[in-house]
Amino acid sequence: MDKTMIICRCEEISYEEIEEVISNGAKRFDDIKRMTRCGMGPCQSKICNSLVATIIHEKTGIPIHEIPLPRMRMPISPIKLETLATNSTSFSSVKSVLDEVELEDGKVR
Amino acid sequence: METSYETIIIGGGVVGSSIAYHLSERKKEGILVLDQKFPLSGTSGSTQAWVWVHNKTPSWYAEFNMYSAELYPYLSKKIGDVEYKRTGGLSPFFNEADREKALLLAEAYKKIGIKIKVLSREEALEKEPSLNPEVAGATYSSIDGNVNPFRLVDMYMRAAKKNGVQYSTYNKVTEIQKLPGKFIVSSRKGTFVCNNLILAGGTWSRELGKLVDISIPVNQLRGQILVTEPLKPFLHYTISGLRQAFNGEVLIGYSMEEEGFNRATTLDVIQETANMAVHYVPQLKKAKVVRAFSGIRAMPEDGFPILGNIPGIENLYVAATHSGVTLSPLIGTLMTELILDGETSIPIDRYSISRFDLAIR
Repeated sequence: MDKTMIICRCEEISYEEIEEVISNGAKRFDDIKRMTRCGMGPCQSKICNSLVATIIHEKTGIPIHEIPLPRMRMPISPIKLETLATNSTSFSSVKSVLDEVELEDGKVR
Repeated sequence: METSYETIIIGGGVVGSSIAYHLSERKKEGILVLDQKFPLSGTSGSTQAWVWVHNKTPSWYAEFNMYSAELYPYLSKKIGDVEYKRTGGLSPFFNEADREKALLLAEAYKKIGIKIKVLSREEALEKEPSLNPEVAGATYSSIDGNVNPFRLVDMYMRAAKKNGVQYSTYNKVTEIQKLPGKFIVSSRKGTFVCNNLILAGGTWSRELGKLVDISIPVNQLRGQILVTEPLKPFLHYTISGLRQAFNGEVLIGYSMEEEGFNRATTLDVIQETANMAVHYVPQLKKAKVVRAFSGIRAMPEDGFPILGNIPGIENLYVAATHSGVTLSPLIGTLMTELILDGETSIPIDRYSISRFDLAIR
């Protein structure tokens, strides 16, 4: 592959950038993802997945079937926030920062 | 790879890498960082990465965070662009009870030099016009901001390596032996000897502690975060709950769950997080969510950092904390001072592990 070839189209990450992080010790797609943003765009690595696996294989010799797949994240395809929102304004596990401010005898601790 | 080092740091996340970098600034030889996976695969790579000061309590802890936030501009100059932005921090509130709390906070923090303004509804909307017009007010402090955690850890690592630090990744530590004047660290890829040993395993601190027969009481807390598609820049401030990154994505989330190391994302919390987003900034309704992720945060039992040497075991140190991104420049600096000079420029006595029960056997 050409050094300047774009591997991740969403984030415009080239072959060269991926090669560099592998030389720094990255071994899995997710390592490369966090270091370069390759695969972090809207397609969530649907396009670059096999290309990146091929590069890891070429550079490290790890057999392709032993290279873990990138972690796919919900939603698999982008959807609007309002589709997820239920419009409830009561929260249980989601907090606000001021909830965490602790008072003691009417004063901030 | 050699087998003998002056200092070994276990954990290559934001805290471990910061210590490695700051130590290597003054002492270039003999530093090894061991990571069981790859830096950023744990907590440091799954955070919104606010550099957050202004409503942490008690005030002495906020002060500690402030010193660290103040180091960020210098850090960027030394290790390179980490996409740090001192945006100022806004915590919106929607009821009057929170205004009382906010005023008490502002009053208490005046004494230690953290300036907090309590904004009226109009002032809050003037600063951040995208906020929900139903907001009651907000607290504001100029010291807060955010950073790109991936860039931050990557730059710490690059700068450390440039100074001669060695990294050994995918290398889990399996055993630690304490001998007079040295430690023998056994790992998946071999055995290393060192004089100083620093445990910076974050969420894994308890496990690391067991290897040296001490209890490091750090628990896990799960936080789930939503990421939107890149939007044109419209949020001016780091808002407690959401922030806009350099590339335009908005990161949303402020959830806390006790789920151990389970990194799943769950629909109920995703929905609550979406609710929070549209409650705070209604125009986000139409923004598309690209992904949801979760991270496991380190949470010491009483919430405060565990820093310093471990009483009774010479040259053994621990650095485990929540808010690792905010605190990393300061913790790196202070741990370096402790190891090389034997004392720190800012007292860390109150963060000593000796406040807990040390013995597990």
